[in-house]
Amino acid sequence: MKEQFNILLVEADKILSKVYSEALGANGYEVRVASSAQKAINLIDEFKPHIIILEPQLSNHSGVEFLYELRSYKDLQDIPVIILSNIPKIEFSTSLDMLFSKLKVKKYLEKDNSSIRDLVDSLKELN
Amino acid sequence: MLELNKTKYLDSNSILSYRLFLSLTEQFKSSLVKISKTVESSMITGIDNSSLIKNESDYMIELIRAYNFGVHLTLNGNELDIEAVSISSILYKTAQNLRKIAINYGVNVDLNFSGKHNLVLSNSEGLEASLMSLGIALIEALPGHNNNKLNIHLATHRCRYGIVAGIYIEDEFLTNDTLKKGRNLYGKVRQPLTNLSHSASAGVFIADNILSSLNLKLKTSHHKKLYGLGVVLSPISQLELIK
Repeated sequence: MKEQFNILLVEADKILSKVYSEALGANGYEVRVASSAQKAINLIDEFKPHIIILEPQLSNHSGVEFLYELRSYKDLQDIPVIILSNIPKIEFSTSLDMLFSKLKVKKYLEKDNSSIRDLVDSLKELN
Repeated sequence: MLELNKTKYLDSNSILSYRLFLSLTEQFKSSLVKISKTVESSMITGIDNSSLIKNESDYMIELIRAYNFGVHLTLNGNELDIEAVSISSILYKTAQNLRKIAINYGVNVDLNFSGKHNLVLSNSEGLEASLMSLGIALIEALPGHNNNKLNIHLATHRCRYGIVAGIYIEDEFLTNDTLKKGRNLYGKVRQPLTNLSHSASAGVFIADNILSSLNLKLKTSHHKKLYGLGVVLSPISQLELIK
């Protein structure tokens, strides 16, 4: 039997979270959505995601705050994170290195510049 | 150097309208990304999401309509029709229009007022456009809040200064201070109202622009146990005889 692969999608936009979930579900992934950083933290223990897909642009607490919180727990330090964002990579400028090194982000995809297929390919790379 | 000189001669109104335009384009980019991903997802899954595309297009149309209205107001402010306006009927009509957009976001739109309120002297089209614009900004933002109550309330009540018409939700998301900061930041940053929304919140600033062209001011407001944004309108006291 094929092992279930859990993905936590942290995305505030209702429509995007719906269509990404459907597309990833069709590719065999089990997807749960958290629309805020707080909801994501609450969901992690119960859902035990293998990979987190994160939009840093969230209400209240940003995705970067979420990453700091996530990495502060010993047992969550190695969950791979893919950033999938409306924010162009270039806007992170100097803090981009920090995202990859300190916060262990594996991949940065820009929503307007990458397809769902690119996201699925990135997930396969990290499987 | 030439660019610097151009900037030097822009007056503050032009700079504000450029900022509003940037906020609108950021919002549009986000909507177009949603449409593009919805189509791509449908091609993968075979699920018909055409209603999502239609509603997102309607969202964009309403926003551009309100933006254009605000620009026309700024350009031709003196030609504005001022009339006796019934707030209740404007809220009712706006709620009907917002419900069409809210459905895809899983948000309920309620009307929350009781009793008769006086007519106010204003421009009905302007009030409607600003409330619509504000409403769609809240509809988009609400699912991203920690609170799971996905309701927005269009409400009116009397206050010391007149009649307040506004849009409210069940958690406190803005203070006057954060709204003030947002006014300074929109068009310059991607998320000027971080406590309200993950997006550019263009709808809030378009509403703000329309209301200020009507010599009105968008403010944070409370309605019963709800929090929101509203505008204070002056009742026409001489029409109180007509009941």
